[in-house]
Amino acid sequence: MLQINNYHLSYGKKKVLRGIDLVVNKGETLALVGESGAGKTSLGLSIGGLIGRESEPANQAKVQTQGQIIFQGKDILHLSAEELQELRWSKISFVFQNVSNTLNPVLTIWEQVSEPYSSHHLGTRRQAREQARIMLDKVAFPSAKINHYPHQLSGGELQRALIAMALINKPEVLILDEPTASLDPITRQELVQLLSRITKDCAVLLITHDLSVASALSKRTAVLYKGKILEEGPTDKVLQTPHHPYMRALLRSYPHMHSSKDIQSINLNLKEPAEGCVFFPRCTQALPICQTTAPPVLEFKLTVLSANAKEELDFFGQNGSSKVACHRGGIVPYLVVHRLSKSYGPEFSLREVSFMVFEGETVALVGQSGSGKSTIAKLIMGLEKPDQGNILYEEQKTPFPRSQEFLQKVQLIFQNPYDAVSPRLTIKEIIQEPLLIQKIGTQEEKNAKAIQALADVGLPTEDRFLHSYPSSLSGGELQRVAIARALILEPKLLIADEPTSALDALVQAKIIKLLMGLQEQRGLGMLFITHDIALARKIADRILVIQNGEIVEQGLAWEVTSNPKHPFTKQLLAAASVF
Amino acid sequence: MVDYQAKKEFLASFLASKEIILGGCLAIILAASFLILPWLLKGDPYQTSLNIFTPPNKEYLLGTNDVGQDILAGLLLGGQNSLKVAVGVGILSTCLAVGFGVLAALVGGRLDTFIMRMIDIILVIPNIFIIILVSAYLKPSLGLEIILISLLTWLGGARVIRAQVLSLKERTHVYAAILFGANLAYIFFRHILPELIPLVLSIFLQGARRAIFMEAALGFLGIVDPNVISWGTMINQSLNFFYLDVWRWWLLPTAGALSLSLISLTLIGRGLEETFISNSERRSKIATDQ
Amino acid sequence: MRKKKIITYLAALGFILILNFLLPRLLPGDPFMAIYGEEAALSLSEAAKEELRAKMNLDKSLIAQFKVYLLTLAKGDLGYSYALNQPVRTVISKVLPWTLLLVGSALILSTLIGLILGIESGWRRGTRADRWILLTVVGLSALPNFLIGILLLLFFAVQLGWFPLGGAVTPYSGFTGTAYLLDVFKHLFLPLLALTLAQVPRSYLLTRASVLGNLSYPYVRTAAAKGLKPLQIRYKHVGRNSLLPISASLGVSVGSALAGSLFIEIVFSYPGMGSLIHQAIAQRDYPLLQGILLVIALTVILANLATDILASKIDPRIRKE
Repeated sequence: MLQINNYHLSYGKKKVLRGIDLVVNKGETLALVGESGAGKTSLGLSIGGLIGRESEPANQAKVQTQGQIIFQGKDILHLSAEELQELRWSKISFVFQNVSNTLNPVLTIWEQVSEPYSSHHLGTRRQAREQARIMLDKVAFPSAKINHYPHQLSGGELQRALIAMALINKPEVLILDEPTASLDPITRQELVQLLSRITKDCAVLLITHDLSVASALSKRTAVLYKGKILEEGPTDKVLQTPHHPYMRALLRSYPHMHSSKDIQSINLNLKEPAEGCVFFPRCTQALPICQTTAPPVLEFKLTVLSANAKEELDFFGQNGSSKVACHRGGIVPYLVVHRLSKSYGPEFSLREVSFMVFEGETVALVGQSGSGKSTIAKLIMGLEKPDQGNILYEEQKTPFPRSQEFLQKVQLIFQNPYDAVSPRLTIKEIIQEPLLIQKIGTQEEKNAKAIQALADVGLPTEDRFLHSYPSSLSGGELQRVAIARALILEPKLLIADEPTSALDALVQAKIIKLLMGLQEQRGLGMLFITHDIALARKIADRILVIQNGEIVEQGLAWEVTSNPKHPFTKQLLAAASVF
Repeated sequence: MVDYQAKKEFLASFLASKEIILGGCLAIILAASFLILPWLLKGDPYQTSLNIFTPPNKEYLLGTNDVGQDILAGLLLGGQNSLKVAVGVGILSTCLAVGFGVLAALVGGRLDTFIMRMIDIILVIPNIFIIILVSAYLKPSLGLEIILISLLTWLGGARVIRAQVLSLKERTHVYAAILFGANLAYIFFRHILPELIPLVLSIFLQGARRAIFMEAALGFLGIVDPNVISWGTMINQSLNFFYLDVWRWWLLPTAGALSLSLISLTLIGRGLEETFISNSERRSKIATDQ
Repeated sequence: MRKKKIITYLAALGFILILNFLLPRLLPGDPFMAIYGEEAALSLSEAAKEELRAKMNLDKSLIAQFKVYLLTLAKGDLGYSYALNQPVRTVISKVLPWTLLLVGSALILSTLIGLILGIESGWRRGTRADRWILLTVVGLSALPNFLIGILLLLFFAVQLGWFPLGGAVTPYSGFTGTAYLLDVFKHLFLPLLALTLAQVPRSYLLTRASVLGNLSYPYVRTAAAKGLKPLQIRYKHVGRNSLLPISASLGVSVGSALAGSLFIEIVFSYPGMGSLIHQAIAQRDYPLLQGILLVIALTVILANLATDILASKIDPRIRKE
């Protein structure tokens, strides 16, 4: 019904939209989500041919458009002023955001709601009034206030009037621009229900920054960032398992009643990208090509190299349904563990363990001691060799023994910090050890890196501390030293094996915050091995539950913890600390 | 108080306005000629002669009037007088406007109410009528004229200044300064005064413009000191002889000088407002401008 | 709100009354002449002067004088013009219609022109047309009203001879009916044009500024999205809102137009209040001068009051408060 092809919009030198491709079908609601300034409203206005025509006569020349907006076989961008006038509201209408003066302050509601009907010659003034009354009744606008002026009405009433006005000419395309912003939660709820009821016959473009509204009203969602659609797919999938780092960040920053992990953000580098991917300045998994070339929009697909051939892995059950604009095909699976088996005689074996850890993601591996958690860590790090199955890092098979590169990108943090550092080395020597081993940098660079690593984990950086010995440090401090040592190689993936179980709760909280902060900054992927499901719930995006060498349940952290499927998970939850 | 960079930007935006440049140049040329030309030409505007209604010639560049006085000399002296009134009223009324406006806004309370109500009351009647009434009795000299006009032109300015100070006072950065422990004087000089400068300039220009207009108007009505030569008086007298051709060199140059003076100040004022003053403030200023 | 306004207007009236009363009495010189005018001081007999002094309590305290002053005014007695040998009230009522005709039609015309120009030029803000209209009107606003009058007079009446040089009707012409109306119109045309030109900048600048403000409001976009014709958007939506500040400041416009008419009437010897003031000043006819200014003050105050009522009728946001 409505098709947007490679639509560009710039205002003078400022690029507002950079190549938008969208299709909205009849009876379908597409949600366009994004932060303020992403270009959502500009796109909505473009569809009504409202960019730079009436609004700014002197600056019309500055508005430049490219591409097509096809509606009923005609390109809206090339319609004459009269054709546009005819099209507006009779075919394409808007529910504008209810800010002050969205309605004319000196005309009554009745007048304004009926106006499009009579001005499009659908009937006499009297018929228009009648029609307006019917529409206002339909949206439950209080009939006693029909002759009121906008300033006499509440926000909810105004929004209802705006909806009635939008529907009066029975449009085919409806653009909802933040239809519930600035309303209180209860009114918002009512209006969302109203909207979902009465927009069924139209092709609806829902513009919103409110993910819960998008979730309630739309079947498909597109994510707009700096004028570019970064991800598009079924709303429930996009909102649960986003594939673009930006969408994931948006979700993580948005508190909702299910979320168990703390709200999180991403780098606030808002530098305007010149060429290449718009998300590049904030991206933690960028490649050199991202800076120079805009990424193509591709269907999302996870493929891994299995034993012999390339195998398609429909990990989230959404291969092919979503589209992502990313050179890396979406959030990168740093670690793929595929059908991993290892037997230690008859009493214990690891059976067909499969999971993934994505860039910037925390996966918690939860289970009792002796269930095989630490074995998995050892297998990943290449300390032991699996009987069967594959371990892939960045979609590449890992050689055995592990390459130097792997050992630089993947770091293990051990459970017991006292044991993990040599008591004979100074703090500085401990931290610089990986650099020494990997032969990286001059002594000055090593010193600088050591100081940076210490600062990153919140430890002192003065000489006295650098030259002290582990014996003078507490457990928490030592674990930080261990983390600093792991970080000095700038790894992409951390395997943390019970890194806080030897620590007091207060120290643990500090270290967890530290790790979450690093994840936000660097896109660190993390496999967090723990027996504490309460802790896992707070820090993990996804949880794997392991019992007797077998993964019995895995899913989104909030889902696993609020709605467990497997008896063992239920058991773990029942035993988790509650007080 | 304003740092160097801000000052530079201020000046730059000042010079970016064509209106300000044009009006400024015009004003400077006019003022300079009123001040310098009388020295060069040495005509006596008061000296009557038998050469009445002489058309322009070498001796009298703009001819003579009905009693044989040198019209150009009169025009220049009238210009000087207009300049005096303009500057005098500009300074005096701006001081009054800023003083009372800031006082009302910063002190607030009853004093504010009192000052504002007085201004409201006096502004109901267009002040030209009050000036006519008083002048009809007093036949004011130049100095008295300045005082009289000033006393009635500061009112609107004070209202604008007060409104501006009040809105500045409510800005969050001012609250922030208060919460850092700043006192009233600091806030006034650091956060309020710099923002008032364009407004003060615009009030000064408005005062000067209205002073020139009023001075001419009173002269035109014949209610100023008869010994003072004024453009208004010259226009009024020349109008008595419109059936002769004398108006071509008597009335038109005088009217031209008056118009150019007013246009130059209007241009600067407009440029200033376009550049520095928000649309809504400008609107309220036009609405109350009599 | 309404009450506060009324108090302000009453206070303004009081201010004018006190000024009228005090000026002649406190200034140096003969208060008798300052109150009754030069003609009375020169031509009346001593006995008649004594009678007048006693009547106005001139030898008593200021308060006693003020009482009599107010009482006389309350009876509708504006004094007596000895120069014209007629009561001031009679003199004023003879000329008032001409001034009202001139000011009234100039106000209507200038407001309409200003509104239309303001809306059209504000709508095209930043374009060449807008800049030229703006520049022209700003230039016009700089000119004193009497200069506009003089230039029109010299060009159209003196040079071209298209219009009469002065007056409101041709004296002793005996015109009636249409011929009379035509004659009145011919005399009215130039002063009306002058006053209208002098008043247009006010309503134009105000409308343009408020159109600019209104165009930034989202309801304009709403109206455009509704597929309304540009004319409907401009006049029904933006115009209606831009009418508010104009109508709210109509009171000030009346005052400004009255002031303008004083000077323009003098230029065109139009027999209204302005010419009368000119005459009163020349003859030092102080009772007449005071009477006229009092009537003008009253007119302005009433116009302000009417404006407030009108504005509250037009703007729904004031109406319900």
